[in-house]
Amino acid sequence: MSSPVIVITGASGGVGRGIALCCGRAGWTVWIAARREAEGTAVAQEVDREGGQGRFVVCDASDRASIEASVAEVVARDGRLDGFVHNATSGLSPQPVRLADVSVAALRDHAGVSVRGSFLAAQAAYPHLVESHGSLLLLTSEAGFEGKVRLAPYAAVKAAQRGMVRALAREWGPAGVRVNAIAPLAGSPAMDKALAADPELGPRVFGRNPLGRVGDAVEDIGTTVRFLLSQEARYVTGHTIPVDGGSCAVS
Amino acid sequence: MPNDTLLIGTASDPVRQLAGLLEADWLEVPSLEAADGEALERFRQGDQAEGVEGSHARVVVALWAESATPAPLIELDDDSWLRRGEFPVIAWSVAMGIASRRVADDGAVVALVEVPAPIDSGGWTPECGVGEAAIVLARSIAQSEGARGVRANAVTTPMRLGGGVLAPAPALPQRYPGTLDREIVGAVRMLLSDDARGVTAGVTHADCGRTLR
Repeated sequence: MSSPVIVITGASGGVGRGIALCCGRAGWTVWIAARREAEGTAVAQEVDREGGQGRFVVCDASDRASIEASVAEVVARDGRLDGFVHNATSGLSPQPVRLADVSVAALRDHAGVSVRGSFLAAQAAYPHLVESHGSLLLLTSEAGFEGKVRLAPYAAVKAAQRGMVRALAREWGPAGVRVNAIAPLAGSPAMDKALAADPELGPRVFGRNPLGRVGDAVEDIGTTVRFLLSQEARYVTGHTIPVDGGSCAVS
Repeated sequence: MPNDTLLIGTASDPVRQLAGLLEADWLEVPSLEAADGEALERFRQGDQAEGVEGSHARVVVALWAESATPAPLIELDDDSWLRRGEFPVIAWSVAMGIASRRVADDGAVVALVEVPAPIDSGGWTPECGVGEAAIVLARSIAQSEGARGVRANAVTTPMRLGGGVLAPAPALPQRYPGTLDREIVGAVRMLLSDDARGVTAGVTHADCGRTLR
């Protein structure tokens, strides 16, 4: 079998970039699907340097036409799609807010990227994943298990993704397509913003981490995603796997 | 402390029945079918303007659509997705935000949400997403309001969500999927009561055991 072809949304930085580089090291073809062309192209070039084939495609994960065009471009150029990773989240994700104060407009932004983005990614990728017996993978969060004091809207949409994974795995299993999620705890620009905005967040998050450190986006998170997308994980579906150093003891 | 119950819910038949069973005041949430964000924002702002913080000792949130039919996710059009998946997540967030303000010190919040058991979840992908969101919203409230003695929990029921895309292979449990008055409302009452004063951030599956099949 030729090396896998995968798409990662929101991979122009942070955890998505780490996943891209990790898969690049294995010689995979990695499409960076993001809105920011300069940053996304730079990550694609990093994938090349890691030994993979990096590509960039402009993609707004909350927009049907954009995500369908992205998948079409991938298949037109590389002839297949083995994995789709929906990693993009709303820019509002790290902004602390009281649940009672959050506006419907803000909630729509959260839901548009995370929840609608999952729906659109699933519909666009499905026929190609059936052909390749590939898999869909959603990036959720420990917040999607346990909630958050000041990030409740983010926690809600991350939880919704977990529920979608559980159901989609049942729908797609007979076609040989796997669906999973991970809940990572990793260093990223979004986490940096969240920690800066809420001084109490750091002690809460790291004070309970058995491994005593934040995850590395390439070595800790990327490797788990690469496993889940690979045939090594061909009997794993319907699960959300915490990749968080043991922080969130809910599995 | 106030000694009454508020139901924050949509105008559907099961929610009307629930209001009666709980003898609750009813705060009606705009229709999920309309998926009208402007109406929901007016509803949210209107409640904030009322000055009703801590109005009730017990708050139940139940946003149930009028009806639903199982369908594979790949067959849903954008409008169906919006009404079944996306907008309910937003509406639940608004309603739980109101619940977090309305509940009095030392009070209790229960989210009563329709979720199929995992084995029956095929065809119900939007509803599974909404269900998990509601559960985690309850957990967020348990954390944010816990310091003032507020508890928050979730109760799930598959009451109207049987018959998914994949036929359930194991035999159905007795009394499955349950009815509001006999199998479900008791779990809500228990979690609202002082008997559950040590229980918060939890989820109770009122599904006659189907979750573990």
